[in-house]
Amino acid sequence: MSAIWFLIKKNITLLLRSKGSALTVIFAPLLIILILGLSYNTSSQFGLNIGVHSSSFTEDVTEFMDILKEEEFKIIKYESTLDECIEDIKNGFTHTCIEVPESFAIDGNTPKEITFYIDPSRINLVWMIQDTFKSKFDFKAQQVSEQLATDILGKLANAKEKVGAEKSKLDVVKEKNKAVSGSTESAKNTLTSVDLSVPTTTYDRSFLDNLSSEISEASQKIADAIEAIDETNLSAADKSSVNAILKDADEELDGAFMYINGTETNGTEIKGIPKLLGLMEQDLNDAKNKLTTAAGTISSTSSTLTSAAVSLGETVAAIDGVQAELSAVQTDIESQKVTDAGTIAVPLATKIEKVSAESTYLNYLFPPLLILVVMFSSLLLGTTLAMMEKNSPAFFRNFFVPIRKVTFIASTYLTNVILIVIQIAIILGISLFFLDDVAHLLPMTSLVLFITASVFTFMGMTIGYLLRSEETGVLTSISLGSLLLFVSGVILPIESISPLLRNITMFNPFVIAERLIREIFIFNSPFTVIWVDLAILLSYAIALFLIILILESLLHAHMVERFMKYHHKQLRQKVPKKNNE
Amino acid sequence: MKLIKLKEVSKRYGQAAVLENVNLTIEEEEILGIIGKSGSGKTTLLNLIAGFVEATQGDVVYISKITGEEKNLSRNLHRVKKHIGFMPQHNSFYPKLTVKENLLHFGRLYNIEKETLHNNIKNLLTFTELYEQKDKLAAELSGGMQKRLDISCSLVHKPKILILDEPTADLDPVFQKEILQMLQQVNKQGITVVVASHNLDGIESICHKIAIVHNARVHTYGSLEEVRKPYLRDNFTITVKTGQDKQELIKKLRVLPVKKIIERDGSLVLQPEDMETTMKKLLQIINEDNLYLHDVDVRKPTLTEIFEDITVQK
Repeated sequence: MSAIWFLIKKNITLLLRSKGSALTVIFAPLLIILILGLSYNTSSQFGLNIGVHSSSFTEDVTEFMDILKEEEFKIIKYESTLDECIEDIKNGFTHTCIEVPESFAIDGNTPKEITFYIDPSRINLVWMIQDTFKSKFDFKAQQVSEQLATDILGKLANAKEKVGAEKSKLDVVKEKNKAVSGSTESAKNTLTSVDLSVPTTTYDRSFLDNLSSEISEASQKIADAIEAIDETNLSAADKSSVNAILKDADEELDGAFMYINGTETNGTEIKGIPKLLGLMEQDLNDAKNKLTTAAGTISSTSSTLTSAAVSLGETVAAIDGVQAELSAVQTDIESQKVTDAGTIAVPLATKIEKVSAESTYLNYLFPPLLILVVMFSSLLLGTTLAMMEKNSPAFFRNFFVPIRKVTFIASTYLTNVILIVIQIAIILGISLFFLDDVAHLLPMTSLVLFITASVFTFMGMTIGYLLRSEETGVLTSISLGSLLLFVSGVILPIESISPLLRNITMFNPFVIAERLIREIFIFNSPFTVIWVDLAILLSYAIALFLIILILESLLHAHMVERFMKYHHKQLRQKVPKKNNE
Repeated sequence: MKLIKLKEVSKRYGQAAVLENVNLTIEEEEILGIIGKSGSGKTTLLNLIAGFVEATQGDVVYISKITGEEKNLSRNLHRVKKHIGFMPQHNSFYPKLTVKENLLHFGRLYNIEKETLHNNIKNLLTFTELYEQKDKLAAELSGGMQKRLDISCSLVHKPKILILDEPTADLDPVFQKEILQMLQQVNKQGITVVVASHNLDGIESICHKIAIVHNARVHTYGSLEEVRKPYLRDNFTITVKTGQDKQELIKKLRVLPVKKIIERDGSLVLQPEDMETTMKKLLQIINEDNLYLHDVDVRKPTLTEIFEDITVQK
C-alpha cells in the first residue's frame, strides 16, 4: 500500500516539476472553467441587438420596445425599411429583426402578427431569441388578452346589470298583465251573462192579407161604382146596381175595419192589428228591458276593459323600454368584434421568417463545422509539427545548417497548410454532394479557409515552440481550441457572455472565420462585405508569424546556451557523486 | 595552416565558470582530441570552436584562407557554417527517415547541387559501409551504424572541419574502433577533426594534438609527445607471475618509494619517486619472494595515465 503512495507521490512530483505539463494538466482545465465561468455566469441575454421595424412607431410600438429594453437588449429602430434591418442580420450587426404592427389593438378575429426575422444558420441563437422573446410576447399577448377579456367582461357586466333592471320591469308587466287578464276574464263572464235572446213569438199576419185583400176589393168596388155612376144615365137600375156595389164595398171596408179593430162586429176578438201590435209591444218591451240590462253590463265591462287597456298600454310601454334596453345590450355585445376564442386567448401571433433561403441543417451547420475541423486540425498539426521538429534528434543538426530560421518556420507552416488544404478539398468536395448550388462559392470559401488555417497553424506552432513535451503541447492546443470553441457562439451564444468578455471574444479568430464562412456560404455576401473580417484574420496570421519568428530567433539564440548550461550543470552534479563513491 | 584560434577564452553560465583563459589553435588537417572529466567543459569548448556559443571573454576566431585575416567565428557563423560539420553527443538525424533520405535532407539544406550531392552520398555510404542499409530506416540501424550515419550526416556537405562530441560513447569496443578508424580516414581526406571523447586510448591512437581540460582550464595542450614529456621518467610497468595474491604483492610494493601503484590489465604500473632505488628494491622483492618477472617495461606513460595523473592527483 505504501508503495502505491510513494509511486503516486513520485508521479505528482514529476508532473509538477515539468512546468509545462503541470500548467496544462492542472491549471489549463481550471483556467478554462474560470474563463467559461466568468463568461457565462449570467442568465441575461444582454448582448442581443434587436432591430425593430414598424410602419409607424406608435405608442403601442414604443411601449413594446420598452418591454424589450427591460432585458437590456440593445434596441435599434429601423424606421425606413425592413430590408436595412435584414441586411444587418446578415452582417451580424443585428441578431433579429422584429416587424411589429403599429397597433396591438385587436379589431377582429384575426390575431395581430409579429414577424421575427432571424438568421437560421445561428441555430442556437434562434432558440435563444425564441426562448427569450417568448416570455416578452407572452407578457404582451397576456396584456392584450387581458384587455380583450376585460372589455368582454365589462360588456357582460353591463348587460347583466341592464337585464337585471329590465327583469324587474317585466315583473311589474307580468303583474299588470295578470290583472288585465283577470279583468278581461271578468268582463268576459259579465258579457256572457248578458241576455240577448230574441223572442220566438210568431206573429200571425194572415189577417193583414185578408185586410189587404178586403181593402183592395173595396177599393175596386168603389172604383167600379164610380165608373158605373159615370156611365149610367142614372136609371134606377143602374142606380140600384151602383148602390149594390157601393154596399159591397162598404161591407168590404167593414171587414177591413174589423181587422183593424181586432174585434168582429159581434165583439169577438180576432187576430187583428191591435193584437198583433200588442204582442209586438210586449216583445219590444222585453227587448228593451234586456237591452237596458245589457247596456248596464256593457258599461261596467267597458270600464273594466278601459282599465285593462290602460294597464296594457303601460305594459306595452314597459316592454318597449325592456326591448330598447335589450337592443342596447345587443348593440353593446355586438360591438365586441373579437369573438373567436382562439384570438382572445392568443391575440398576438408570432411568425418566424428566415433571412436566408430555406436550407437544410447541414447548410447552417456547415460553416461552424468547417471552421471546427480547420481549427483543430491546424492547431494540432501546427503544434505536432513544431514539436516534432523541436524534439526531433535532428533539431540540433538543423540548427547548424546554413538555413535561415524563417525557412524552417515557413516549411513547417506550409507542410501544415498543404495537409489542411487537402483536408479542406476533401470536405468541400464531399460538401458538393450534400449541399446544392455552392460550387460558385468555393473559391471565396477556400480563401477564407486558407487564411483561417494559417492563423490556427501559427497558433499551434507558437504552442509547439513554447512548450517542451509533445503531450503537453497537444493538450494545450486542444484546451485552446476548446476555449475558442466555447466562446465562439457555436455551442452557447456569445450574446449570453458578459459584455467585457463578449467584446474580447468578438476578436476570437474562430468567431471571425465562422462569420466569414457563414456570410459567404449562407448569404452569398460579396467581397466588399467581408473584406474587413478577412483583413483582421490576415493580420492575425501575419502577427502570429512575426511572433513565431521572434520566438524562434530568441529560442535559437539561447538554445545552445541553455542546452550547454543545463548539460554542464547535469554533468557537474554527477562528478562529486562519483568522487564520493 | 591555422584554422581556428581561441584566445584567452572564458565561458561562464551565470556565476559558474565553465572555461577560463583557454588558448588553443586548431591547425588544418590535424586531429585534435579533447579529453576531460564529465562536466569539465569539453562540450562547451567544442561549441566555442564551432562558434555556436559565444565566449564570455576572449575571442574565438577563424583565419580567412584568402586574406589570412582573423575573424570572429560566432559573428560570422552564417559564412562559415557550410565549412563546419558538427556531430553532437547524441544522434542527430531523423529516425523515421531512411539512411539515404537523411543524407539527402541534410545535403539539400547545404544547397549542394543535386548531382554532387548524390555523388557525395554514394561515396559516404560506401565509405561508412552503409550502402546496403541505405533504404533502411535510421531507427532500425544498430548503434554503430547510427553513429556512422551521424558522421555521414556531418560530412555530407564536405566540411573543412569536423567537430565530434563523444562519437564513441555508448558503443562497444569494436564499434568504437571502427568509428575512430573512420575519423582517421576522414582526416586523411584533408578534413580537420576535433573530437571530444572519454575513449582515451582511442584519442591517443588517432589524435595529432591533445587538449586535456580540467578544472575549467585547458591543463595540457599539444602533440602527444608534448603532453607526455613531463611524465616520461616517472613510470614503469612490471608484469610478474606469482602464486601469491596480487593484493599481497601490492602491499609489499607499497613499502617502495612509489607515488602510486595502478593495477591495469593484469600488470602493475608503478610511479616511482626515485627510479633507481625503486628498481633495486623491486628486484630484491622479486628475488626474495621467488617471483617470475615476466616483463618490465619502463615505457612512455599512456594518455590514460597522464589523464589520471592530472585529474586524480590534482
